[in-house]
Amino acid sequence: MITTNVPTQLGLLLCCLLSTTLSASEDPWSEKAIKNSVNASDYQGTLERNQLLELIEAGNQLFSARFTTDDGVGRPMATQAIIPTKRKRPPRNEFSRTAGLDANACSSCHNVPIIGGAGDFSVNVFVSEGFQHSDFDTTDPQFSNERNTNHLFGSGVVELLAREMSVTLMQQRTQALADAKNQNKPVIQALNAKGVDFGSITAHPDGRIDTANISGVDNDLVIRPFSHKGVMTSLRQFTVNALNHHHGMQATERFGTRWTDTDDYDEDGIAQEISAGDVSALVAWQASLAPPLAQAPTDTRWLEAAKQGQQQFDSIGCADCHRTYLPLSDLAFSDPGPMDAAGTLRYGETPNTVYDLSLLAWAETLEKDTNGDYKIPLFGDLKRHVIADQQVAALGNELLSQRFVERNVFMTTELWGVGSTAPYGHRGDMTTLREVINAHGGDARDSRDAWKALPKDAQNNLIAWLKTLIIKL
Amino acid sequence: MKLLNRKLVGLLLPFFAVSIVNADTHSETGNYKGDVPSLHEQAMEAGIVHQYDGPWEYFVGGGVSAFDCNQDRMPDLYFSGGDNAAGLYINESLPGGELRFNKDTTSALSIKNVIGSYPIDIDNDGYLDLAVLRVGENYLYKGGPNCEFTRANSRWNFSGGSHWSTAFSATFETDNDFPTLAIGNYVDRTAPGSPWGTCQDNELHRPNAIGETPDFSEPLPLSPGYCALSIVFTDWNKSGVDALRVTNDRHYYRGGQEQLWRLNSGRYPRLYSASEGWEPLVIWGMGIAEADLNADGYPEYALTSMGDTKLQILDLEQAIDENRPHYEDMAWTRGATAHRPYTGNDLKPSTGWHAQFEDINNDSHLDLFITKGNVERMTDFAQFDPDNLLMGSASGQFSEQGSAAGLALDTRGRGASVMDLNADGLLDVVVVNRADNVSVFRNQGMNSEHGPRQGGNWLKIELQQKGGNRHAVGSKLSIKTGNTVQSRVTRVGAGHASGSAGFIHVGLGVAERATVRVQWPDGEWSAPYKLFANHHVVIERDNDTVSQWFPTTTSLQTNSE
Repeated sequence: MITTNVPTQLGLLLCCLLSTTLSASEDPWSEKAIKNSVNASDYQGTLERNQLLELIEAGNQLFSARFTTDDGVGRPMATQAIIPTKRKRPPRNEFSRTAGLDANACSSCHNVPIIGGAGDFSVNVFVSEGFQHSDFDTTDPQFSNERNTNHLFGSGVVELLAREMSVTLMQQRTQALADAKNQNKPVIQALNAKGVDFGSITAHPDGRIDTANISGVDNDLVIRPFSHKGVMTSLRQFTVNALNHHHGMQATERFGTRWTDTDDYDEDGIAQEISAGDVSALVAWQASLAPPLAQAPTDTRWLEAAKQGQQQFDSIGCADCHRTYLPLSDLAFSDPGPMDAAGTLRYGETPNTVYDLSLLAWAETLEKDTNGDYKIPLFGDLKRHVIADQQVAALGNELLSQRFVERNVFMTTELWGVGSTAPYGHRGDMTTLREVINAHGGDARDSRDAWKALPKDAQNNLIAWLKTLIIKL
Repeated sequence: MKLLNRKLVGLLLPFFAVSIVNADTHSETGNYKGDVPSLHEQAMEAGIVHQYDGPWEYFVGGGVSAFDCNQDRMPDLYFSGGDNAAGLYINESLPGGELRFNKDTTSALSIKNVIGSYPIDIDNDGYLDLAVLRVGENYLYKGGPNCEFTRANSRWNFSGGSHWSTAFSATFETDNDFPTLAIGNYVDRTAPGSPWGTCQDNELHRPNAIGETPDFSEPLPLSPGYCALSIVFTDWNKSGVDALRVTNDRHYYRGGQEQLWRLNSGRYPRLYSASEGWEPLVIWGMGIAEADLNADGYPEYALTSMGDTKLQILDLEQAIDENRPHYEDMAWTRGATAHRPYTGNDLKPSTGWHAQFEDINNDSHLDLFITKGNVERMTDFAQFDPDNLLMGSASGQFSEQGSAAGLALDTRGRGASVMDLNADGLLDVVVVNRADNVSVFRNQGMNSEHGPRQGGNWLKIELQQKGGNRHAVGSKLSIKTGNTVQSRVTRVGAGHASGSAGFIHVGLGVAERATVRVQWPDGEWSAPYKLFANHHVVIERDNDTVSQWFPTTTSLQTNSE
């Protein structure tokens, strides 16, 4: 088994093997970053360990690949929108730190403290729907939401948690419908997944569902765990979006002939820029990144402070949203997954592939609860909350809603890795943990006020504990 | 009898010469890049054994109504039978599963001489009623719970006449809670010289605005009639007031043409004339389909005929500046003429009947389905004449994919319905065939090398409002995804002798979400509704939130299913 945080001997071996293979089709001096696309048909069914590691390594290379125009960088006639959208005219400059293209490689931004990690303020991205005003040369928030780069460690199990929670919520909906029909009267059903409350629905005997009281999740009951806003369903969807937005690399599964009538939607002269296999490799690599676990400090004073700090964290209500762990029943990661919609490769559209994450070394470090479920210590609840109010409004600084989610509503940030991933806040404009805690308003206001009321030492202890939640180098 | 004589062939020759010279570009080709549905015919397996047949009067007609009569929101099917008894089939399909229907053998609707039917809630009781067109007296049936139907001609003072009725449409005119009904008639068989030049007048049944129940005691003739085979109330000029469009069969009329009646909310109907921009058009008009293909608010129309299908687009300059209903035909440039069979060796012209715009692969581009079928041993027209599936694309072009979809059967289609029969978001196809069993095609998904797969994302929307016009007939919907806007309108009418009611289906392509606004029949716009794809939703007027709907026997719903 290997860890996936750093290249290992096996990883290097695979890398060499891949390079040898690839050199057969591309000149060694080729300026293409993708020397050879990953063939999805080579990876079907539940992958054996060696196959999985091979695919992960291919993803590793793609994640750090500095894509070039020979690969398909650029989208002169397409915007950054997740729905293929044409520009009226090419932009004056293809690269722009505002509307994008804004990066050469995935790793250009995801690199703190290591590849796959978060990003500095200098690599913030400017999220626009990309429909109207898709080109903008200002950071004025009326055109885009400025977002700091999230880290990706543990993202595989995060997606698995979201899938399991979505299924639970949908089962509750199905049960409510059956109950309403059997009882011939409306039934109010609480929605709760892994102990997280998502409000309620009212099911009617005729099959209708009132969704007005659903809380913290879209009313289709799909938990979308990725992005600050919690609006991305899967690593696959996120990857396809990001490749287009940041690099102008358009994945065939969304921008190809099936949906757009053309194999060069962005009109940059390069057809079929990213294959389904390439996306799968990127997904496999991200899904394999080890969940960050709390690291006990060697410094005994820090260790003691951290212990007390965690108690403070729980006692003032931080853990109401930043859940210590969520239980996960299975580490089998099917790709494509079951929750995506058209435009991202879907479950059942191709022979399915399963990445058994339990084959990875970090899986052995996960504790299990009494039910035999993996305890995933993400310190989050995969739920969206109002995070700003009239008095404490710093985290409600955006002007644009995103994908039906209001401007002051965000997904609870998972705190694992928080000790390694400053700066903080969804804009990355807070340099310390203390600042970002102080900025919690809205649903978190009581906890924040309780924090503010803590003695200085207790606050320090809490910080000491948060600083143990690091991404292991 | 619709037998083409030599004179007519002579008239047709120049017309078809153009078509045949360029025919290759309009045959089914393999260069269509979008999804093609896998349509599997399974009428027998679904439990539907029904045939439309009979003598001359039943060479036309042969409709099917698709509507929910037992309040489970799954569409039931009512088939015309001609000389045979009509049949009501109750939908017992499992959501997303194989199609299953059970014939209601005791239904009051099991009557003979039925040409076609259209569902509409006439008395605003929440139950869909049914207008039944016949050779002989037409009937209005009052719907009740569990598919109970009671003949209501007397109750509603409706005179069913004794004509040969072949077309129907309904609208709710301003300030009237009850619908205005229009009935299109065909040949007056009793007139001297029949059938040539003896087209029956059409009828307009306006309700008495006063009273608790519908009262159609004062019908108006729509004269002249030119042997209508399809009619539809339509807001051609975005005025908010419907006009009545009529497509007529030139085979029997003298001096006739296509017609557009101006109604002007209660006034006596008047035809648009050539001086007002209505250009005379003479075709074997058999079916109408309406859709706003470019989402500009002005509908386009497909008109089926013998030979070329017409695809008409309004001349906006004349329409906006002078309110002139002048149309250009764009069927040829869009690849939608469908003028001869796209497969087989028969190069004779086709005979088109029912037409319907729907998005059958959910790619967000409307497709055009047309039934085809020789009238009855008309040797100058194709004998093997398969139904068409013209797939729309982003460019606005249509591409024939009937054969690839599995539609190319040797049957003689008439009426039809493109409707999701098993609540899976995929539109299925029902076709009434003359002198043959009906065809019921289940949409299994999109063809792929790995077997049928899911198509694009979709939405299905049901509209409700209180008071009159409970099902909000005449509403217009604006569906926005990204920079793209699609529009839909709820109508009662058009097609060929076939009506439908229920969810409005919209394909969304790769969009996961859509913002939907409704312009209710009185012109008021709703607030925008933010809807997630791949759901059935119920929009109730004045309610800020929508309800979702799930088939109650459903298993776990995920996007993977």
